[in-house]
Amino acid sequence: MRRSGSSPLINFKPFVESLIAILVGFIIGAIVLIAFGYNPLEAYYWLFIGALGSTRGIASTLKYATPIMLTALTFAIGTRTGIFNIGAEGSFYFGAIASVIFTNLWGNMWFGLLMGMLLGALWALPAAILKVYRGVHEVISTIMLNWIAWFFVLWLIVGPYANPNDPNKTIRIPEAARLPVIGYGLSIAIIIAVIAAILTYFLLWHTTMGFGMRASGINQKAARYGGMNPKMAIMWSFIIGGLLSGLGGAMKVMGEGPTYAISQGGANIYGFGFDGIGVSLVGRNHPLGIILSALFFGMMRAGTALMQVNAHVPLEIIKVIQGIIVITVAIPGLYDLLVRAFRGGVAQ
Amino acid sequence: MRKWLSLFLIGLLAISVVASGCISSNGEKSKTKGAIAIVYDVGGRGDLSFNDMAYLGASKAAKDFNLELVEMQSNSEDDYVKNLETLASQKKYLVIIAVGFMMTDAVKQVAKEYPDQKFAIIDGYIPDMPNVMSILFKENEGSALAGALAGLIAANDGKDKVGIVLGMEIPVLYKFEAGYRFGVKWAEDYYKQKEGKDVNIDVLYQYTGTFNDAAKGKAAARAQLAQGAWVIYQVAGGTGLGVFDAVEEVLKSQGKKMGPPFAIGVDSAQDWIKPGVIIASMMKRVDVGVYTAVKDAVEGTFKGGIVELGLKEGGVGLSTVDDVMAMFDSLPEETQKQKLRDLGFNSKEELRQFLEQTRKQVPDWIWDAVKELEGKIKTGVIKVPAPMDKDGIEKVRKAKTWQEMMELAK
Repeated sequence: MRRSGSSPLINFKPFVESLIAILVGFIIGAIVLIAFGYNPLEAYYWLFIGALGSTRGIASTLKYATPIMLTALTFAIGTRTGIFNIGAEGSFYFGAIASVIFTNLWGNMWFGLLMGMLLGALWALPAAILKVYRGVHEVISTIMLNWIAWFFVLWLIVGPYANPNDPNKTIRIPEAARLPVIGYGLSIAIIIAVIAAILTYFLLWHTTMGFGMRASGINQKAARYGGMNPKMAIMWSFIIGGLLSGLGGAMKVMGEGPTYAISQGGANIYGFGFDGIGVSLVGRNHPLGIILSALFFGMMRAGTALMQVNAHVPLEIIKVIQGIIVITVAIPGLYDLLVRAFRGGVAQ
Repeated sequence: MRKWLSLFLIGLLAISVVASGCISSNGEKSKTKGAIAIVYDVGGRGDLSFNDMAYLGASKAAKDFNLELVEMQSNSEDDYVKNLETLASQKKYLVIIAVGFMMTDAVKQVAKEYPDQKFAIIDGYIPDMPNVMSILFKENEGSALAGALAGLIAANDGKDKVGIVLGMEIPVLYKFEAGYRFGVKWAEDYYKQKEGKDVNIDVLYQYTGTFNDAAKGKAAARAQLAQGAWVIYQVAGGTGLGVFDAVEEVLKSQGKKMGPPFAIGVDSAQDWIKPGVIIASMMKRVDVGVYTAVKDAVEGTFKGGIVELGLKEGGVGLSTVDDVMAMFDSLPEETQKQKLRDLGFNSKEELRQFLEQTRKQVPDWIWDAVKELEGKIKTGVIKVPAPMDKDGIEKVRKAKTWQEMMELAK
């Protein structure tokens, strides 16, 4: 069935479902485009050419896919362990600011990435502890922690880490600590993100620890009866999730020119955690599915430029179309999630 | 599986219907002599100030020189490089105009990659690239007039505070703040010499950190009004629309249709947005800047480097009723009608009369004083400071007199 799980690589049903959902989304989007007087074939043509028609386009697709791939993994690990972890946003902020702070202390790339992961994981810890030891529902705690993280990081951006010569940004990542660029503004962040996704897959499906996590995600009582420790499983799920989002935040700042800094108002680090939820749902909460779905989201972003210029569709309409497609595509994943919730799979 | 199959077939059917319906369209780009492109920053169109003014200039230039105009909005900061690159790689634009300081880094990078493509950036400081024209404005000069107006209104009504609500804390906005403070100090001095009374007017200021959040602008203005601000100058694009709301609320609660308290608009002649609430606007003629860039590109006089537009060049200034009506006339016909209906006017003439009446709430000698300051700045007798960094603005904030500030301008 849907949760057979043991050999998910061979299970193509979710993949086919998502493909059909994408198709349906595009059709509804086309109807909207016609309603507003635009030519959907032309619009979609330029969307795909913009995203995949040139090396530059492919590079920007990959660039846009990177941060949301990591935050989606956070959500996916949570869901697989039976928790609804929406704390990726907060960990992402902390990863981002950590990279700025620590690379400027010591201009080393690996140190920046490490501290980003560490702070991301640390920020996930309060929600984990509250959940495991006090039974506080993770939706409540992570939402509140996200806001605390947001305002704290905003303060760091305009306060101690503002760039005195360019006060609408933080100080920049020193050149020695920036991620190497492969070409066309694309850094090695995408490779690290894909490796992270593959590692997450191995963790969940090919280790004892991962088995315990998934087992307690399906049924906590049964897992405990089977000799596993659901509490530890949930703890690890939060920590690894925070780690991944922290990495995403750090790489967002360290791997993206031309500024290599966080903008005032956190404009270039905001929203990736929430987008990650959608990416994860479309990828059916499976790490390998998430690689594909993040690429899909990246394509949608990268294609907007040519869609605006050559098909003359204004950005607002493009956003509407993309919203429709994303919603349609997320429906099968959402359905899965709801079924799980109503069957009592989500831990209480 | 059969259910999905049927869905799939329905989908195919729908696509084919859609496809057959709309294969032909788009035949407008025929007789133009070339193209220009304009990229807006995240604030985007519809702010009734900065970005809309840029559009106004670009569309006028496109019409005058018979060019195709391609517009591009930016979804987030991450899109700046991507958008500029996409346009540059098409190699068909006479000039690509980047609207906004925030795009400085992106323009630098893309202009280096495409040395044959001409770029112009509004508000960005790129002095050393032959293919980039940086168009800067002396907002400090225009803001000094706004400050003088605000200061004199407050002094005349026996009040001791005026406010300024700003957007993001970027160097461009320091120039607005410094000019405003200069104007207020100048007003103190002027009032003292005229009436023989010492006045001390505080400037309340807040950087909201955003250009497109009217709710934040409203909250900031409310706080300043509660502290006794008598005139509030908004320098925050879309965020500033909330400042007008806040001032209007106060007027309504007192049953008044016209101020004081007043708001001062920015960038475009915004007075028509809320007549009675907005006493005048500090116009930053982004349209003139954009038009200049296109004109130079068309006529072959385009040069890289800095172009600065001040009071003398008509790049900034305080709005007159004529300016406001011209701005209003540039709106689409439908919008004009709708707006007049919302305001309860039957004709444009009524709007004009109402605007003139609003200005009569302020005595003539104040308007004359502002004119006097304008003349002195134009001839260079008075210089207004234009700080470009945090240290600079701190010095202006600490200065006690306008003469002290003028020292900083040297």
